[in-house]
Amino acid sequence: MIQAVNLSKRYGSFEAVRGVSFDVGSGRVVGLLGPNGAGKTSIMKVLTGYHRPSSGLVTINGINVADDPLAVKAMVGYLPEGVPLYVDMTVGEYLGFIAEARGLAHADREGAALKAMGACGLDGMFDVRIDHLSKGYRQRVGLAQAIIHDPPILILDEPTTGLDPNQILEIRSLIRSLGSQKTVILSTHILQEVEALCSEVLILNEGRIVAQGSAARLAEQLQGDERLDVVLSGARLPESPEESLESRAGILAAERVEGPAGRLRLRLTAPAGSGDTAAEAVFDWAVENKLRILELKRERLSLEEIFVKLTGEDTEA
Amino acid sequence: MSPILTVARRELRAYFNSALAYAFIVSFLVVCGVFFFFVNGFFAANQASMRLWFGLMPIVLSVLLPALTMRLWADEKRQGTYELLRTLPFSETQLVLGKHLAVFGLIGITALASLPVPALCSLFGRFDTGVIASSYIGLVLLASASASVGQLVSALSKNQITAFLVSVLVLLALNLTHVVTTWAALPSWLAAMFNWLSLGYHFTSFLRGVLDTRDVAYFVFLTAAGLYLAVKELRFAAWR
Repeated sequence: MIQAVNLSKRYGSFEAVRGVSFDVGSGRVVGLLGPNGAGKTSIMKVLTGYHRPSSGLVTINGINVADDPLAVKAMVGYLPEGVPLYVDMTVGEYLGFIAEARGLAHADREGAALKAMGACGLDGMFDVRIDHLSKGYRQRVGLAQAIIHDPPILILDEPTTGLDPNQILEIRSLIRSLGSQKTVILSTHILQEVEALCSEVLILNEGRIVAQGSAARLAEQLQGDERLDVVLSGARLPESPEESLESRAGILAAERVEGPAGRLRLRLTAPAGSGDTAAEAVFDWAVENKLRILELKRERLSLEEIFVKLTGEDTEA
Repeated sequence: MSPILTVARRELRAYFNSALAYAFIVSFLVVCGVFFFFVNGFFAANQASMRLWFGLMPIVLSVLLPALTMRLWADEKRQGTYELLRTLPFSETQLVLGKHLAVFGLIGITALASLPVPALCSLFGRFDTGVIASSYIGLVLLASASASVGQLVSALSKNQITAFLVSVLVLLALNLTHVVTTWAALPSWLAAMFNWLSLGYHFTSFLRGVLDTRDVAYFVFLTAAGLYLAVKELRFAAWR
């Protein structure tokens, strides 16, 4: 449904997107993941027909965006970064304007506005001026604006930025329900968001795709080794716990680190995906040595660490 | 046609939602009224003529119209709504014409609001209604050309105040180029060129009650040229 071939976008001498290619099938929710300045927003600006690519080709439903941006704009609902709105209008006036701009018949406009408001949790806000709304509600108005004409494609630039945790959950569940009927591309720099919403992920860095695939597979692949942090207590602490632990299944390496007095603190490394096995092994080992587990913490790599890894590997290759 | 009206209606709503529309109409009437009745001495001249009132238009519109046009694009860019507008299914031409239509509509409302001035003056003597009519036609054409220049400057600007000041300068220059011919003895072809360029020069023939197609064509041409270049600028901006 959405295809990019060797897409590049330069702003002056700055190359924001460098030769990106991807193919998004219909009815998928795809996440663009990357740190600030990775090129997520630039890609979205090209997909929506707001900017033309410097080189390369983008087609949406077989239509070249550079040839017929109006046809593409009609098919796409877009939530730009920062949620620009006409703040001097009421929610109803604003959505009415968008519905009119989207070519909805006069009689259908109010119904479409009310439906979109309902879907975005804006009931009862029809006559409220937008400059009186909080940031979370403005975000919802921006989303309602994007879905008012029931577009087959939704492009959402950081849809949950600046929201409180409850609002984030609400917006995510809205996007999830929209994703069952539409093709959604969203950008984020939050890994959990991708895991929660997306069937596919493109990871970008410095204008290039550094990894792509299904969210679950990528998360596992990128997680790399898992780390376990264990604190134990016991009447008799073993002299060299490392050897006996490393022979257990699921544990690659064990290292004794400094801990509180009278306690044994260990840092264990388990291969990707076998964190459960390693935790079970630690438990069994503790029982056999008459030790009690005070703390067992499994650490996952943060997005930042994954990025350091991905980009580090890139420069070495 | 309907997308143009959609854009124009939103723009007009923005003018009236902020106090800008009222501020414009009131300051136009007050400034022109004060200069006409008191500074220029309508009563002392003892002549039932609106010539002096219309004669103020080139300067007054050069200063006041940019207050309407400065926000057309510069403010959309500042608020970020430029991106919203440019990702809705409007063509560049529809957007530019819609915004022009909104300014034109407000000028029309202002012109209607000024009708009591000639009505009041007619109490003092007989007016040539033909001259008043042709002067109003000239006023609307002059305002349309100025608004188109103002929109172009706004499309090229990121900042409203810059757009305002540059528009005032450009419009004053365009209104006054014919004055050069009275200062210096220029070769006739050069003088003719300065005259042809001048908004003020073309406007004066309307004040004499003359509807010359060359003057009408000049204003229409200038309006079209400004709007065309604004469309080009919007198209070009997508490639940057």
